[in-house]
Amino acid sequence: MAGMKTATGDYIDSSWELQVFVGEEDPEAESVTLRVTGESHIGGVLLKIVEEIKRKQDWSDHAIWWEQKRQWLLQTHWTLDKYGILADARLFFGPQHRPIILRLPNRRALRLRASFSQPLFQAVAAICRLLSIRHPEELSLLRAPEKKEKKKKDKEPEEELYDLTKVVLAGGVAPALFRGMPAHFSDSAQTEACYHMLSRPQPPPDPALLQRLPRPSSLLDKTQLHSRWLDSSRCLMQQGITAGDMLWLRFKYYSFFDLDPKTDPVRLTQLYEQARWDLLLEETDCTEEEMMVFAALQYHINKLSQSGEVGEPTGTDPGLDDLDAALNNLEVKLEGSASTDVLDNLTTIPELKDYLRIFRPRKLTLKGYRQHWVVFKETTLSYYKSQDEAPGDPIQQLNLKGCEVVPDVNVSGQKFCIKLLVPSPEGMSEVYLRCQDEKQYAHWMAGCRLASKGRTMADSSYPSEVQAILAFLSLQRTGGGGSGGHPQGPDAAVEGLNPYGLVAPRFQRKFKAKQLTPRILEAHQNVAQLSLSEAQLRFIQAWQSLPDFGISYVVVRFKGSRKDEILGIANNRLIRIDLAVGDVVKTWRFSNMRQWNVNWDIRQVAIEFDEHINVAFSCISASCRIVHEYIGGYIFLSTRERARGEELDEDLFLQLTGGHEAF
Amino acid sequence: MGESNEDIDQMFSNLLGEMDLLTQSLGVDTLPPPDPKPPRAEFNYSVGFKDLNESLNALEDQDLDALMADLVADISEAEQRTIQAQKESSQNQHHPASPEMPDFSGAGALGYGANVVAVSVSHYENDLPPPPADPMVDLPLPPPPPEPLSQEEEAAQAKADKIKLALEKLKEAKVKKLVVKVHMNDNSTKSLMVDERQLTRDVLDNLFEKTHCDCNVDWCLYEIYTELQIERIFEDHENVVEVLSDWTRDTENKVLFLEKEEKYAVFKNPQNFYLDNKGKKEGKETNEKMNAKNKESLLEESFCGSSIIVPELEGALYLKEDGKKSWKRRYFLLRASGIYYVPKGKTKTSRDLACFIQFENVNIYYGIQCKMRYKAPTDYCFVLKHPQIQKESQYIKYLCCDNARTLNQWVMGIRIAKYGKTLYDNYQRAVARAGLASRWTNLGPASSAPPTTGLKAGTTQANGQIPQAVHSVSAVLEEAQRHAETAKDKKPALGNHEPGAPRAHQLPKSSLPPPPPVRRSSDVCGSPATVPRAKGRSGGFPAAPDDSLPPPPPPPPLEEDELPPPPPDFNDGPPDFVPPPPPSFAGDAGSQLPPPPPPPPAPAPEAPKPPPVGVKRPPAPPKRKENPGPPGGGGSGEQDFMSDLMKALQKKRGNMS
Repeated sequence: MAGMKTATGDYIDSSWELQVFVGEEDPEAESVTLRVTGESHIGGVLLKIVEEIKRKQDWSDHAIWWEQKRQWLLQTHWTLDKYGILADARLFFGPQHRPIILRLPNRRALRLRASFSQPLFQAVAAICRLLSIRHPEELSLLRAPEKKEKKKKDKEPEEELYDLTKVVLAGGVAPALFRGMPAHFSDSAQTEACYHMLSRPQPPPDPALLQRLPRPSSLLDKTQLHSRWLDSSRCLMQQGITAGDMLWLRFKYYSFFDLDPKTDPVRLTQLYEQARWDLLLEETDCTEEEMMVFAALQYHINKLSQSGEVGEPTGTDPGLDDLDAALNNLEVKLEGSASTDVLDNLTTIPELKDYLRIFRPRKLTLKGYRQHWVVFKETTLSYYKSQDEAPGDPIQQLNLKGCEVVPDVNVSGQKFCIKLLVPSPEGMSEVYLRCQDEKQYAHWMAGCRLASKGRTMADSSYPSEVQAILAFLSLQRTGGGGSGGHPQGPDAAVEGLNPYGLVAPRFQRKFKAKQLTPRILEAHQNVAQLSLSEAQLRFIQAWQSLPDFGISYVVVRFKGSRKDEILGIANNRLIRIDLAVGDVVKTWRFSNMRQWNVNWDIRQVAIEFDEHINVAFSCISASCRIVHEYIGGYIFLSTRERARGEELDEDLFLQLTGGHEAF
Repeated sequence: MGESNEDIDQMFSNLLGEMDLLTQSLGVDTLPPPDPKPPRAEFNYSVGFKDLNESLNALEDQDLDALMADLVADISEAEQRTIQAQKESSQNQHHPASPEMPDFSGAGALGYGANVVAVSVSHYENDLPPPPADPMVDLPLPPPPPEPLSQEEEAAQAKADKIKLALEKLKEAKVKKLVVKVHMNDNSTKSLMVDERQLTRDVLDNLFEKTHCDCNVDWCLYEIYTELQIERIFEDHENVVEVLSDWTRDTENKVLFLEKEEKYAVFKNPQNFYLDNKGKKEGKETNEKMNAKNKESLLEESFCGSSIIVPELEGALYLKEDGKKSWKRRYFLLRASGIYYVPKGKTKTSRDLACFIQFENVNIYYGIQCKMRYKAPTDYCFVLKHPQIQKESQYIKYLCCDNARTLNQWVMGIRIAKYGKTLYDNYQRAVARAGLASRWTNLGPASSAPPTTGLKAGTTQANGQIPQAVHSVSAVLEEAQRHAETAKDKKPALGNHEPGAPRAHQLPKSSLPPPPPVRRSSDVCGSPATVPRAKGRSGGFPAAPDDSLPPPPPPPPLEEDELPPPPPDFNDGPPDFVPPPPPSFAGDAGSQLPPPPPPPPAPAPEAPKPPPVGVKRPPAPPKRKENPGPPGGGGSGEQDFMSDLMKALQKKRGNMS
């Protein structure tokens, strides 16, 4: 149409020449020149470009990017005039999906193709669909932090990069499962490995690495991360991301909907990983006792995932199998609770009988350990002067039900003690049992632990408990004994586990490995029965119940205040925090919020709460868009309902979080 | 004394022997019981403690009578059940499986045996005036569905029932029972038989039957350690016998039955625990007046997420030093993992905190008169100790608060941290129970228009697509809550009404999507978080233990003669007894049958929605006044779990047979 000429070659219509570069934003890219008019439709222009290039190729993913306006020309029925394109426009004809490198919550890198033309919200949803993570609205992308150039780069070993760029996902429905994984992962050994990386917890990190990674030392440091979130309503291209860039994929909103281990292995694992790193890098603080529980869970999770017990059977109907298992479990528990039944199978209850040394600390006594013949039957420990007197009355009988069992072990010193705090009407009585060797210790210890929970050694968990104790002892031998308190010993990583990889670095400084190990073991006894996904879930729940959980920090300045303060944004409230001291000054709950407004010109967020409470602040460490998006995002997430299932009300999300581009 | 003791024991064992005989006579003709009549010795009717023995001796005549009544009821129950056993047919398909899993009934967790027994006992209690046609009946015991069966089937059923009954008897014979003297708030006492499977909830229900109290949620069992001067509320899920077994033989501890508003204070006014501004400006007045919708959403947020939220609680408390009568002031913080304190010269950041105690092995008690006894700074003390410790000991921790408010916050906070979601579940069961009771008492006279559909209905609206049973349940909850609040003033509970009425009223409303979380000028408050508590747990209460029973079928067609008569509870009611509306009320909360007859107008999926969000809506303009709410989807995932469980059970049965 465009480009009518007279015989002399003069154009007689209003057409003009439009140059389009082919390829991504590359100044030396080849270009084609078309003859167009203002009425040309984008679709027609695309067609012409393809004809002009004369190359056989699938061009379906290609679209035109207008560099000056930073805009994709995606409306094929729009005319050039409508877009306002003139001959000086720099247009690039390039693919909409381009490879990026994602740093996953588990810190592994993955290359995949992401949409550079859709709003980030949709791009993330597509990524999550590819990775089979449900509820993509909870995740988002951040820019990778700028690398500090001071260290020599070549020292870093080349890390493994998983590649999913070639995987194409059929549109629409959720991918079907095949061989226990979404079908698109089962194409090749490579993608299968990738799925395993995604769905299984990673081994504990090298303690040395933990030491080296940056950790926030103050609230101010914790605000840094949140300045890097990308804008959900704009596309990657508009945000200056180029192909091959590294981006972080993280759970952004700490409001996890409907966590279901059965349908969500990847989501659960990645969430677990994020929680784990959050704790290891001290982004969220916890107490010593809590850290021990976290460490024990990590140890347990790692053990299970290493041994390949991935919990969920991939059988015909996992749902029913699980229920069966649950019912069996229930039966076992019920049986365990009825002591009369236990009496019935008396013959099957194993006993422990041996000479042990016993010590009962009392005031004004200098007596040390004394050898006794000890019989451990059901949940009762009885001791006698010697084996011959065993049929008679024992010196003392202790029912261990409800008692506290504390290991007191020093492997290198060959000390294997069990400290028992046995409750009685008069108070707690303290008893120490000293075993000769690891084997004996492991059996008695396991028995004591079960007894303290009212179970006997007939319990099915007894052998595994014994094994766990032995394993932990050997771990201690390698971890703490040899390298003299230096966790970075090369052997540490090779054999067994280093407890230092399970705790935040400040505990590495505070404790020696051999102090840490028994405490982790102690905490481990409470979680040893959990399956992999249960343990991950427990870890996430414990993380969620930390007071500091899920708060995103931003430096702001409140209207009328002279100093910078911190605004904490959690899933249900906003918190005003003193920057210097870290004290909570004021809390506002979203449920009392009436409206919020953003003044993009002066970068100020104004919020009105019930009872005419008004708050306004300007954002300093991050743009007010990020704060705005956080608030809108949490409001959006709280509207989710189970019955709606997977479908996402994207418009609502964008309404709640977007809006500023109108200015 | 010894003699009379023996007498009573003798009497009991005679009675129980009779029961046995009865039981046996059931089985004898059709089958030899798996195990012949249990030897008397195994009949472990233990009167556990010396003091209980004594108390038995000291029993007033009437008490003894009551106790006897219990036992007689047991027997007549056995009789009745033989009759019933004939009638019950399709309900009992699971019976053949029961020998393999005897403990289901024992635990009461699945509620086959234990609860059924408890309920039916109440009905055949001869000596007590019949409770006003207890509404409980249609809750846990769906009327047996008398489908016409062929003769052989019937015979097989009957046989299976008898086997089950025999087994149950056998098992019951081994169940440990205690006679517990419970002190009432009017200084009288009642003696109860408590078997080792009963939870506090069961005992409370039992007491409700006996006392005809208003059954509100504040009623609790309360233990008092006379010697230690500490006391506490039994949690509803605790096993009573287990708790009592920790007492020493010569103990002076007491069990009371009384109302304590502290029991579930957090659920009535969550804001006092979760939103307390640490007395910064005594903003109590505003706090107290939180509206029901916000309370609901606060509870939802705190207890129904993937992990519960423990109230943020910190402040200076006095700690009694070990073995001394001196008290030291320290700054304590409550976390989900335990109580922590700030060591000297440290800050209260997580990393500096030192653990004071964790809750796994301790119970929380109120300290009484600590000021006098231990020279405590105030009388607002709470005590942490291992349940087995009964004497003074250094292992008992005493803490002292400045005022009653803080004390209550700490005790409640610790209970939340220790028991977690269980506490909320307990509450919901209690509310359902109270709701039933109050509903019943008000059912007759006035079924006035439901006064509260407006505001309160709003609390349930977000789940328009969850089956109606949920609505009725939450209606009960609200109702009961109201009742609980008004009960104190001895006013008759307002707004108890026909069960059908509120539902019909609520449903249209509830199928609307929640008010949109409007970004600009409209009311954001509460709406996003009001997803009703029923979410994800609609099957969990109040009929929870009975969920696995077959759903209540439509009422039997009475005119057919060869059909077994309707369940006794329909027969035995007083003549003027108006049968409750078809058991559509709470009993079917967990069932998976389609809802019973009165179908609500339920326009759920196609409900008039706000205009759908246009797909091509131009970028949102800055000045929006209203945003359409998320559309309510159709279909419910709620029932899936239950049906799965049923499937699993069936499958299991299939495997076994």
